[in-house]
Amino acid sequence: MKKGLKVIGVLLYLSAAFSVTAQAGEKLLGDVSDGSRAASHHLIYLYPENQDGKKGSKIAPDAKPLLPFSTRWTCGECHSYNTISSGWHFNAVDANVPPGRPAQPWIYVDPTIATQIPLFYRPLPGTYKPEQIGLTSRRFTKLFGRHMPGGGAGELASKEPEQVVREYISGKLEINCMTCHNGNPGQDQGSVDGYAVQVVRENFRWAAAASTELAAVRGSAEFMPDTYDPFMPEPPENKRLVPPTITYKENIFEEDNKVFFDIVRKVPAERCYFCHSNLYLVEKETEKWSTDEDVHLMAGLTCVDCHRNGIGHNITRGYEGEPNVSTNPLAAISSCEGCHLGEKSSAGPEAGRLGAPVPKHPGIPPVHFEKLSCTACHSGPWPAKNTYLAKTSRAHRLGTINVNKSPDALPHIVAPVFARQRGIYKAPYYLGRPVYTVITDGKIAPHKLLWPAFWGALKDNDVKPVDLELVKQSAGKILAKEKLPLSGDWPKLTTEHITGALKALASEKSVEGKPVYIAGGKLYFLDETGKLNQEENHPAAQPYMWPIAHDVRPAAQSLGARGCGDCHSTDAPFFFGSVAVDTPIAAERQAVKEMVGFQDIDAFYAWAFAFTFVFRPWLKVIALGCCALIAVVLLLYALKALASVVKVLAERD
Amino acid sequence: MFREIAITAFIITLVVLAVHCIAFPANKKRCPFGDALRRWSPVSIFRKIIHLFTLLLLEQKLSLLGVFKKLLFLLALLCFIVLAITGFYPLLVMDKHIYGYFVMVHATFAPIFAICVAILAILWARNHRFNRGDWPLLQRIIERVTLRKWFDRLTIPSGVEGLSAEEAAEKSVSIAQKITFWLIIFLSLPLILSIVSSMFPFFGTYWQEFLLAAHRWTALVFAIIAVIHLYLVIRTQLK
Repeated sequence: MKKGLKVIGVLLYLSAAFSVTAQAGEKLLGDVSDGSRAASHHLIYLYPENQDGKKGSKIAPDAKPLLPFSTRWTCGECHSYNTISSGWHFNAVDANVPPGRPAQPWIYVDPTIATQIPLFYRPLPGTYKPEQIGLTSRRFTKLFGRHMPGGGAGELASKEPEQVVREYISGKLEINCMTCHNGNPGQDQGSVDGYAVQVVRENFRWAAAASTELAAVRGSAEFMPDTYDPFMPEPPENKRLVPPTITYKENIFEEDNKVFFDIVRKVPAERCYFCHSNLYLVEKETEKWSTDEDVHLMAGLTCVDCHRNGIGHNITRGYEGEPNVSTNPLAAISSCEGCHLGEKSSAGPEAGRLGAPVPKHPGIPPVHFEKLSCTACHSGPWPAKNTYLAKTSRAHRLGTINVNKSPDALPHIVAPVFARQRGIYKAPYYLGRPVYTVITDGKIAPHKLLWPAFWGALKDNDVKPVDLELVKQSAGKILAKEKLPLSGDWPKLTTEHITGALKALASEKSVEGKPVYIAGGKLYFLDETGKLNQEENHPAAQPYMWPIAHDVRPAAQSLGARGCGDCHSTDAPFFFGSVAVDTPIAAERQAVKEMVGFQDIDAFYAWAFAFTFVFRPWLKVIALGCCALIAVVLLLYALKALASVVKVLAERD
Repeated sequence: MFREIAITAFIITLVVLAVHCIAFPANKKRCPFGDALRRWSPVSIFRKIIHLFTLLLLEQKLSLLGVFKKLLFLLALLCFIVLAITGFYPLLVMDKHIYGYFVMVHATFAPIFAICVAILAILWARNHRFNRGDWPLLQRIIERVTLRKWFDRLTIPSGVEGLSAEEAAEKSVSIAQKITFWLIIFLSLPLILSIVSSMFPFFGTYWQEFLLAAHRWTALVFAIIAVIHLYLVIRTQLK
């Protein structure tokens, strides 16, 4: 009897397991295309998330309370939400995803404590995990969710009870499919009541719906009391508080309460630009009309023509070597070489995809292609004697309201820095720490660069940033006396400030290790006598760099178009440009580093090599002259030999 | 593949020259072939080294042109050694393309070498032209390879059969020296042009790679022939 029960038990377990597996592998209606290139008509029901975090009832215009639609349950009806959430834009928090090539970090900036620190959930050297500076995933989302398409940190479950309560009120920041796929011009990511503002107001549950042209959201979850229940809302006691409420636009509901979504599969470039815009402060005039766009866009392509993905949203980033870390089958042919050169070993021709011209590169020795990435000559702003300050959407909140348009606004990102690429990181975890496998091609590429500035604790030669709240409480008091410039630039930090702040941090028991301050590539610390000392070249003080891929310039605008002297002259910015060393310390703000220092090339060698190009025209003239002489001698004696042979033949006759 | 072929070619060349040096000593009267012990004694080797070194010196009996020619030859020799080391060392020893300071030194000595080769071509061409006396031996060499019947009709009865084996060997060295000289002069053209033309914005990546390969392979053949030529010149001088 017992044996029979056991067998039945095992069979039941197996059948349950199979059913789960089948469910996981089940494809929904919109997961696999039928091959039609026509746009799909999205007339669909809206579903909210209920108080249990599950799928709620269909949304009707007269429903009470009126809830925002949930993308998980609305779009997820036909598209596997969990599959999509494993995509590149949403999987930063997944420790098992290799980070690949260094990418733009999230930069926490607080001039009151002289801090700009690169943050990343992905394990990339030179960046720090948000929790290391005391940012919970909710706080991180509130700060940076404005330029996220949702998911990722926005959906991490909170652990602390108080955070769990807040999470119930605000909801999670689900993947906002409309951020990219809404074809309607009414999609609002950054304006007064748009997505970014909803994120700041902690209206995470409402943010996606608020961003569309279909609804408007008022109020804020941020200030609602812990007792507030968005599923059974009661007017708050404090009449000043406005609970988050959604109003769907009139006439969007069809008779059966279906709503039409203007969804596009091929995402327009403007959607990408919201998070991926760059502004180089090259000239005083930085208006959009005065700068050129990427040559690919001008040729009629869009971002997603190269950066492609399937339902897994594992979008190709398009760098050389990406197939080492990406499972996207198009990764190998989505780089510059993929379209412009093609795989030589492939069965069919791949060069020229999407109309890409095959470059001739006349007069450029092939060694350049071993030493330089394509972007070195073709991407980013044209290099000048000094690097420029750059602004990016994600770092400077571009496209959102009340942006500080001052060129000096923090964070200070400098570009273009021609540096040797650090490589591609495959980082499987071992005992909770990333174990890096670095695939490096050693090519020089243009980078954006950020000099980290933060307060840390030095222990075993390893610097860990100190919790922001702790810094504000201790060091912040000393720095608070310094006036903050309206431009958003650094306050004028002095060595006295640093000394005082480090002493204040040293008195904090919770700081594990020796308090240090990192800024401008230096590590500042107090010695035994309490005197401020500094150390250069500490790994923690090194700048964080990430490669520039866009905007791509055409061949006629690329480095080398005017000849070798574009790079191989003794004052060429490529090697000898000055990279600004950004620091809050007023006395050291004029410091620069030579570009060649970032290329692992000896400065004298670079100079001497460039100097030889002064003589290059002479070399050509001499060589050709010698060839002419030799040719004349050969010709002369060949003719003489011919004459002798003719003579011999004549004698024989 | 180039690396393997180049290493093999250099080794074969050096082995062949060493065997030739032993089998056909430069000065048989003073160093009979059979007396190997005497020939390879430490004193003898030291003497040979001194002798070789003195070849680099300028004799007083030389005319001004002679001094110039010798200086030019020595300069060309120096350039050749530097170019060969900077060109082949990274490729053959380090298995890397020429890079860094190697490139700079290579590119610095290359035009000097080109000038030397051009002037030597002018100054030495007359001395290295083939004459009627070279014909029988040349003919015999060619006959061994091909076109026997056709050359039978061209035979000039100047009596190569009349030469002793020793004289024939001596003569062949002289002819080999001429052949290598003309080959050096001839190969210097593709050698120089392949790299100089790549400096002009005429050729795309494919042709750049082709030119670089052409330079590399020509340099290999050039270097081997130059080594053989040098060996023959030293042999001649030792006599």
